[in-house]
Amino acid sequence: MSRGTQSRRNFLRRAGVAGAAGVTVALAGCADDDGADGPDGADELGDQLPEINFVIPTAGANSFRNELGRITAENWEEIGFEVDLEELEFGAHVDKAVVQQDFDASLLGWGGTPERIDPHTFILDMHHSSTTGEGGRNTPGYENPEYDELAELQVTQPDEDERQQTVYEAQEIIARDQPRTYIANEGGMHPYASARVENVDPTLGEGLNSFWNMISVTPLDGDTVTMGYPSEIISLNPMQDLATPDRQFVRLLYDQLFRIGPDGLPRPWAAADDPTIEDDGETYTVEIRDDMTFHDGEDVTIDDVEFTYELYADSPTYSGLVEIIDEIDTSGNEITFHLDEPFAPFTANVLGQVYLFPEHIWGDVEPEDLADFQDENWTGSGPFQFEDWERQSELQLRAFEDHFETPNTERFIRIPGADVSQLVGDLEAGQIDFLGAIPQPATLDRIEEDDDLDAAVFEAIGYAKIAYNMRREPYDDVAVRRALSYSVPKEEYVDFIRDGMGTVTDSTISEHNEFWHNPDVEQFRLDLDAAREELADAGYGWDDDGMLHYGADQ
Amino acid sequence: MGLREFVIRRLVQLVFTFWAFFTILFVLFRMVPGDPTSMFLLDGMTAEQREQRIAELGLDQPLHIQYINYIEQLLTGDFGQSFIYREPVIDIIVVRFMNTIVLMGTALVIAYLIGVTFGALMGWWRGSRFERGGIVVTLVARSSPEFWVGIVLLSVFVFWLGWFPSSGMRATGGDLGGGFVQRYGSLDFLRHLFLPALTGAIVYLATPTLLMRSTMLDVLKADFIEIKKAEGLPERTVLYKHAARNSVLPLVTVMAIATGAAMGGSVVIETVFNWPGMGREMVRSVNNNDYPVAMAAFFLMGSVVIIMNFVADLAYVYLDPRVEYE
Repeated sequence: MSRGTQSRRNFLRRAGVAGAAGVTVALAGCADDDGADGPDGADELGDQLPEINFVIPTAGANSFRNELGRITAENWEEIGFEVDLEELEFGAHVDKAVVQQDFDASLLGWGGTPERIDPHTFILDMHHSSTTGEGGRNTPGYENPEYDELAELQVTQPDEDERQQTVYEAQEIIARDQPRTYIANEGGMHPYASARVENVDPTLGEGLNSFWNMISVTPLDGDTVTMGYPSEIISLNPMQDLATPDRQFVRLLYDQLFRIGPDGLPRPWAAADDPTIEDDGETYTVEIRDDMTFHDGEDVTIDDVEFTYELYADSPTYSGLVEIIDEIDTSGNEITFHLDEPFAPFTANVLGQVYLFPEHIWGDVEPEDLADFQDENWTGSGPFQFEDWERQSELQLRAFEDHFETPNTERFIRIPGADVSQLVGDLEAGQIDFLGAIPQPATLDRIEEDDDLDAAVFEAIGYAKIAYNMRREPYDDVAVRRALSYSVPKEEYVDFIRDGMGTVTDSTISEHNEFWHNPDVEQFRLDLDAAREELADAGYGWDDDGMLHYGADQ
Repeated sequence: MGLREFVIRRLVQLVFTFWAFFTILFVLFRMVPGDPTSMFLLDGMTAEQREQRIAELGLDQPLHIQYINYIEQLLTGDFGQSFIYREPVIDIIVVRFMNTIVLMGTALVIAYLIGVTFGALMGWWRGSRFERGGIVVTLVARSSPEFWVGIVLLSVFVFWLGWFPSSGMRATGGDLGGGFVQRYGSLDFLRHLFLPALTGAIVYLATPTLLMRSTMLDVLKADFIEIKKAEGLPERTVLYKHAARNSVLPLVTVMAIATGAAMGGSVVIETVFNWPGMGREMVRSVNNNDYPVAMAAFFLMGSVVIIMNFVADLAYVYLDPRVEYE
C-alpha cells in the first residue's frame, strides 16, 4: 500500500511544479519562488517567526492525513515558515493536542456521528470559549465574545428557521477567523459482497455501520449476515464510556425515544409521535408507543422511561447528558420533561441519545456500579437481541421478532478483524458479507473489479482539520492562520490522496448536512500568493533567504 | 556447589529479576504519552467525564503512590482490572494466552522436529547435494518475512485452492466459549490452525536446522564417532544414538529462549490470520494505554522467558554431566 501512496505523492509533487508553471493543478508552488515575485511585506524586519510544531498522525494511524500533513508542511515552508513535523500515534496525538494542548498546529479529524448532525456539537462544543480547557473540544482555544453569543443563542431558538439563521452567521464568523482549517468531509466507501447480501443502506457519516443498514441488509442465501470491523467491541453496557464501534451495537440492542433518521433528523422511535413543545421550548411532552416489549418479554412502560432518565441523572458518566432536565412527570402513556432553559437540540441530542433501560433489571444497581454492571443478556427493547459474545472472536445477535421494525436478517454476526486489509481478504474468501471500514484506494480498485463484490459510497459530516493553538504567538494573529489555511491543498487531498472519496469543506458544518450548512462562507483553497498577501498586509516580511519575519513595528 | 544451593541462588536472582522487570515496565508505560481516556475523547467523552475517569483510575495520584498501590495489589496476586474493558485482566489475558500457546506451540514443535531431523541429516551427509539444497531452502525460509510467508500461503491455500478458511480460530455462528477440548479439539479448529501454524513453523525452522547441522559437524569430527564406526555399528545407530544425541545440547538453550519469545505471540501472524492471541493484545493495550493489561501481558511473556532460561540451565546440567553448577 505504501508504494501506491508514494507514487501518488510523487505525482502530486510533479503536479505542483506544473501548477507553478501555469498549467492546471497548483499545489506546492515552484522551488525558486522565495517571495521575491510576491508581495514585499515589511521593509524593516524584526525577529524570525518561531518554528511551527505541526503534529500529524503517523502513516500507520492515518495514511491519508499523514500524506496531507507532509505536503502542507512543505507548502508552509514555501511561504517562509520553518516547520517541525511531529508524527504521533493516535493516543499520543490526542493527548498532546487535546489534553496537554502542547502544539502549534495539529491535524486530526472530528467524527460525524448521527447525533452530531444537529449543529450543536459543531457550533457550540467545538468553538465556544467555555470548552477551551484540558480535554475540551475547543482545542484551538478560540475565544470570541461575538461568536459565543451566537453559539448560545442558537441553543435557545426552538424555531428552526431562526436557529438556522444564527447557525449560518456563526459559520461565517469562524470561516473568517479560521481557528482551524476545515479541510474535507471524509466520506468513503465500505465494501460488501453483492453476491451474498442485498438492501445495503449506507447512510450519511456512517456508511454501512449505520443503524439503518444493520436492520435493512438482507442475506440472499441463508439467514445470517456477517460483518467485519477492524477493532473489538469494548463494552455493550450503555452506561460505560463508549467508543464509536461500541455505540454501533448498543443502539441495536437498546431503543431510544427518538432515532436520528437516514436524513439526519430525529424521528419518533419508541415515541409515538413528535414531541409537543411548550413554554417557549422549556417543556417537552412525549407519548410512548404501547406495542413494545423488552427482549425478556416484559412490557416497556412509561415507568421504565422515567426510570431511565433518573438513571442517567444519577450516572457518574452520563449525568451531563440530561443535566438540562429540571423535572420529569408522567401521566398515562406520556412523559413530560421540564427544562432549566430552552434547549433546541433536546430532541436530537437528549431524547435521541438516552437508551431505554428495563427497570426490573437495572433498578437495584447503585449509581457508582452502573459502568461495571454486567447484564449477561444485555436486555433492551431494540430490533436485535443479544445471543452470545466472545470479545476477541465474534458477537452474535438475533432479530427481535416482536419489534415494530424487525430487521431483515434473522442473525447478525460481527467479527473483529486485525486490520482492514485482513478483513478485505475475509470478504474475498467469503467469510464476511460487509466491512465497516474504508480500504486503501488500490484495494478498492480490486474490489470494484470483483464481480461478487461492490463498494457502498457515503458522504460524511465529520472532517479533517488543522487546529491552530491560539494561546500562542503568532497563531493568535488571524492573518497568520488565514495564510496557513491558504496553503492547505484541500481539493488535491480529496481528488488524489483520497482518490475522490469525500468533499472539500470550508465550514464547520458539512454541505451534506443540508439544512444547517451555510454555502456562502469564505473559501480557503490552495493559493500561496494569497497566503503571502495576507502576511504582507498584516505587516510581516521576508528576509533574503525567503524566511518569514515579524515587521520591525509589529 | 551443590544442586540445592545452585537452585536457591538462582531463585533469589529470579525474584530480583522479576522486581526489576516490573519496575521498569511500570515506569515505561507511565512515560508513554496519553492515558486510557485518549481513545474516547474524540468519540464524545467530555472534559468533565475525562477528569472523573482519571480520578477513578487513580491516575491523578503521584507516580510513586501509584507504584506502591500497584505493587501491593500484585502481591495479593491480583493483576487488577482493565482500564478500558473494565474486566479482570486475568480473564482477558488467559484466553489469548492459551490461543497463543496452541498456535506457537504447534509451530515450534513442527519447526523443531523437522529442523532437528533435517539438520542432523545435513550434517551427516556433509557435502552432498542434499546438504547444499537443504541450506538454500533453510536460508530462503529464514530470510522470508513472516507476513510474506503468510500471504503466500493464503493466496495458494485459501484464494486459489479454497482448502482452508482465511482467518479466525473457528467457523462463525457456532457456540461460543466452551472448555479446552471444545475450543481446541475440533476438526474445524485444526483447519483454522493449519495455515498460521505452518507460517510459524517455516519462520522458526531455520534456527534449529542450521544449529543442528553445525553441531553435528563438530560432533562428527570427534574421536568417539570414529570408534563407534570402527566397532562396526550400523550407520543409522551411529547417526541417531551417538552423533545426533550429542548434538542436541545447544538446541536446548535456543529452544528455551525461542519458546519464551514465542509465547508473546507473533503480531504479524496474528494480524495476517486474525488470530486472537497475545501479540495483538499487547499492541492494543499499549496503544490504548491500558496499563494493567499491558503490564500483565509483558509480565507473562517475560516470566516465560525468565523461567525457560532457568529450566534450560537446570536441563543442561542434567543432560551433560561435564557442565557444573557455579
